[in-house]
Amino acid sequence: MPSQSLPIIHFDHATFGFPGVVALEDISLEIHSGEFVGVIGPNGSGKTTLCRAVLGLMAPLKGHLRIFDCACDELRCHHRAKIGYLPQKGVVDRNFPVTVLETVMMGRYGALGLFTRPSGNDRTIALDALAHVGMEGHRDSALGHLSGGQQQRVFIARALAQQPQVLLLDEPTTGLDITTQHNVVELVQHLHEELGLTVLLITHDINMIRSRVDRLVLLKTRLYAAGPPADVLKPDILSQVYGKDLVITERDTIIVEDYHHHHH
Amino acid sequence: MLDLLAYDFIQRSLLAAALVGALCSTIGVFVVLRGLAFMGAGTAHAAFAGVALGFLIGWPPLLMALLFGLATVWITGWMEEKGRMKLDVSIGILYTATMALAILFIGLMKTYNAEVYGYLFGNVLAVTSVELLTIAGLSIVVIGAIVLFSKELYFIAFDQEMAEASGVPARRIFFLLLTLVALTVVISLKTVGAILVFAMILIPASTAYQLTHSLSTLTWYSILIGITCSVGGVLISSYWDVPSGPAIVLLATLLFFVAVVFSPKRQRRSLAVN
Repeated sequence: MPSQSLPIIHFDHATFGFPGVVALEDISLEIHSGEFVGVIGPNGSGKTTLCRAVLGLMAPLKGHLRIFDCACDELRCHHRAKIGYLPQKGVVDRNFPVTVLETVMMGRYGALGLFTRPSGNDRTIALDALAHVGMEGHRDSALGHLSGGQQQRVFIARALAQQPQVLLLDEPTTGLDITTQHNVVELVQHLHEELGLTVLLITHDINMIRSRVDRLVLLKTRLYAAGPPADVLKPDILSQVYGKDLVITERDTIIVEDYHHHHH
Repeated sequence: MLDLLAYDFIQRSLLAAALVGALCSTIGVFVVLRGLAFMGAGTAHAAFAGVALGFLIGWPPLLMALLFGLATVWITGWMEEKGRMKLDVSIGILYTATMALAILFIGLMKTYNAEVYGYLFGNVLAVTSVELLTIAGLSIVVIGAIVLFSKELYFIAFDQEMAEASGVPARRIFFLLLTLVALTVVISLKTVGAILVFAMILIPASTAYQLTHSLSTLTWYSILIGITCSVGGVLISSYWDVPSGPAIVLLATLLFFVAVVFSPKRQRRSLAVN
């Protein structure tokens, strides 16, 4: 999907946080339709704040955030249904008594609005979304009975059921084994290409996504760099953010300090 | 046992029990899934304080119960939202504070008032026609609201932030849920009492939780269990002449443990490997 010039997410000198605590400061960033953008940075660098901001769960303290050309100072905004979101693992109780199809149907609820019951059409959309992630055979399974990777696929299907323009994923590979991590990121890349989705993927795992994304955004409260991976992943830029915790191996694998303890 | 059913008061109490059973077990699904279990207990004690104040100052006790119940759920909900305090801490504080108020109000009454204690333990066999009509009317309101907002209520129980992010007015739905919990407690006060209403909210849904992995099935099981226990409890109570509240709650508890032992979840959990 070729990049169009219209920015669908536009941070304009935006600062986010709570009174007295700045989580993200003076962020200026444009994300264009059809881009695959990876957001990286150490723990506490504001990655999840960026995510909450894009979802409209946090208003900027200073500056502006415009999404789909809508000034997002207004938190309750209809554009949100256009952003499919995969929350961090651990936010949701994965033993909740819910079937796979019931989970994916929830992706329709925001767009339906109050007082409207899901129709056969919504069911078709949900089943379609399940097919896109290769989980159509599990629609009546209990969510809690699935493996971590399968659950992640179901949550991606829930995001797809929103029929989003943007897919926003917060640490989608956390807690998965290496093979499953690759499968999940591959699925995201596939959806990006096949459905033309703009993807914003937040991760601590630089090596997992560096060859797949169009651009990387490097955060540590401030925006340190944004651009093609080759321009961002330079030792002098990375060491500004990761300091002495940064190790770059001979085979160009980047190892950073918070790789193994990112759990909350 | 059948000849008991010929009595008006037995018919009334069976109807009241069925209504309260259905109501508590329906709201209970969302209370259990959203992790508000302790909230039911706190609200019940607050409502009882309201009843005591009502008797003390001569205002309608159920109206006062409603005001106290609503104040408690809204304050705790607000505190959770602001992230000031963990929900169980703020509930714990309000729970004991309202209980202290109830004891204070009762202490301030010059005479012993048996009717106040009726609200503490409940007596479904003493429900009047007017009370039955009130229960029925309010039950329709609460269950109607649950049906109307069921998809949003399920969504916030599962994942409130995701619900909010996808455009569901999650905050308002959460406060609606809290309000419905307070209403349910007040409606149930006269029949099962302030101490036991909590069990009626908690146990049927928790029992159903043992038996299924589907949200919709869970809800139907919970309602079925709730009605069965309340009606069964009333029959036991009138047949063997034991207090109705404990009969209902102990029957529900028995069913809960049976469900835990025979839970398909327990048997399948060992199979759920990566």
